[in-house]
Amino acid sequence: MAEVFRLGAPYREDFRLERLSYGTGSPSVTVVAGLHGTELNGVHAVNLLVGPLSMSRLKGTVNLFPVVNSFGMDQGTKRWPYDDRDINHAFPGDPQGSAVQRIAHALLEHTAADVCLDVHSASPQMCELPQVRVPLSGREVELARATQLPVVWRRAGDRLEATGLVGAWRNSGRAALHLLGGRGGTLDVDHAGQIADGVLRLLHHLGILSLPPEPGTTAVDTTRAGVSYHYGALGGFWVPEVQVGDRVAPGHLLGKVTEVVGGNLLEEVRADRSGIVVTLRTYPIVHARELLVRVADAL
Amino acid sequence: MTAQTSVICSAGMPTGDRVDIVRRRFQAGEGPRVVLVAGIRGDAPEGIRVAHNVARVLGACHEQLCGTVDIYPCVNPLAAHRGLRNWPFFDQDLNRRFPGRANAHAPDLVARTLVDDVQGATQVLEVRGAHAAFAEAPQAQVRSGDSEAAKLARSANVHVVWSRAPGPAAPSTFAWQFPNTIVLEGGTGNRLTPEVATTLSNGVLNLLNVLGVLPDDALTFHWAGMSRPEVVGDEQVHRIRADVGGLFLPRHRPWDAVGEGESLGEVIDPISGAQLAEIPSPKAGRVLALREQPVVLPGSMVARVVEVSDG
Repeated sequence: MAEVFRLGAPYREDFRLERLSYGTGSPSVTVVAGLHGTELNGVHAVNLLVGPLSMSRLKGTVNLFPVVNSFGMDQGTKRWPYDDRDINHAFPGDPQGSAVQRIAHALLEHTAADVCLDVHSASPQMCELPQVRVPLSGREVELARATQLPVVWRRAGDRLEATGLVGAWRNSGRAALHLLGGRGGTLDVDHAGQIADGVLRLLHHLGILSLPPEPGTTAVDTTRAGVSYHYGALGGFWVPEVQVGDRVAPGHLLGKVTEVVGGNLLEEVRADRSGIVVTLRTYPIVHARELLVRVADAL
Repeated sequence: MTAQTSVICSAGMPTGDRVDIVRRRFQAGEGPRVVLVAGIRGDAPEGIRVAHNVARVLGACHEQLCGTVDIYPCVNPLAAHRGLRNWPFFDQDLNRRFPGRANAHAPDLVARTLVDDVQGATQVLEVRGAHAAFAEAPQAQVRSGDSEAAKLARSANVHVVWSRAPGPAAPSTFAWQFPNTIVLEGGTGNRLTPEVATTLSNGVLNLLNVLGVLPDDALTFHWAGMSRPEVVGDEQVHRIRADVGGLFLPRHRPWDAVGEGESLGEVIDPISGAQLAEIPSPKAGRVLALREQPVVLPGSMVARVVEVSDG
């Protein structure tokens, strides 16, 4: 383990950004998790890579950053806890700037690689089927498909804003993927395992890992046009009737919004297309016009 | 005649109650329409108080007005209820949600509704307190290049007018939605500072006078007592950061004059109390902002110093 950046902190030990490195030479891959302190599936997924990478003869380099926002993680906050800033809005950073700008700058400097992956969970209110989000075209699409994760979502302008890590990588000419799975604030072992397996398949695709991992199954490979967004018209108590990964048909009951007091039905939410539930609201208190479910076309 | 109070947006809560966003309209005679918006963030109550101070004066001289003044005293009432910067539950900074969306969750809907309601205003004023970690000298901020706004802001009774280049987040702020918007700021985050409230309230009333909405004899002060601040650019405003983590103990108050190299404060170790650093001012000038929340990390801003001619 190598410390690549350190920042002094009052009342406690210094903040340290640590990297785990495996193999040498090209091609090179960087995997980052824990930019947000409450997104723990990515941390577990990256740590699941340590065993296979330690035991393999690699033809290339893999750098792992399992946790960036360790102070946020310690305190259960998504953002950097001292000033409530989002590190993922601080790129490309500034070595003379604020703490999050310094961290962002150091992370960008030390993650130079041919392929860069940023692993997240959904918010604590949502659950996402393990997925990889990429632009509509380009090399990233090929790399995303090589992960064989359940969902490949090609999105216009996805994460291209330069203040985010993925956007900053792309601005630097690197192929960058945004991986996402499960729910924030919790650990979903299965989803984290699927993400780790997806990364291993990508490493095999790049020739870094010689032994082929178990194949995955991509169930959704789509753009925005192939995804239905279901919002609640009313606020209330949301009771889902499906789970992420479920197959549904038009008219399938996705969930109900009920009165918080008394439980009377306010609204039924039903699928408007055949497909797979890729996003599900899991936190039951909902306001009007909040996203509840996304259903995407199945392959 | 009394102000006309309207609910521009009513946000339904999951538990069944509602939270209203209110506009108070003071209208008489023919003249421009001036909008005053406060409470976009819930941790800056100074702006809300200024809005009510202004409304009180307008209510007392309603018939003398020549035009319309629309006051939105608190756009983010749920956050103000808890003293939070962001809209609760969604944890969204409302001042990063503009222009908002009509068919969306409450923060976006409120942003959209506000923008629609303000459309057509002759002049937009936003008034707010400082960030919760800082104390700020009364100041006006305008977008760089908005020369008319900068000229008008000199009548806002503030210490300085800062013509500020837009940052990456600017397009999602309320002030960006309307050219020539003047943002008035001052005081301490989540606290009220009486003299700042008086300064900014008088500044808003003076602006209404300059714009022709409020006649001279309705002013509660003499216009000659208003300050005539300098307009400064970004190159005259210096951010000073801590190089070490610790507790920042300031040696000044906002708008104190400081010399080049003069200490703005010290950073001490919070456990031993030992001094870790003195933080000097890089330029002679006035303290525009000063950190009040003392815990700093390397890179934390501790002060802004502005170069002005009397600094």
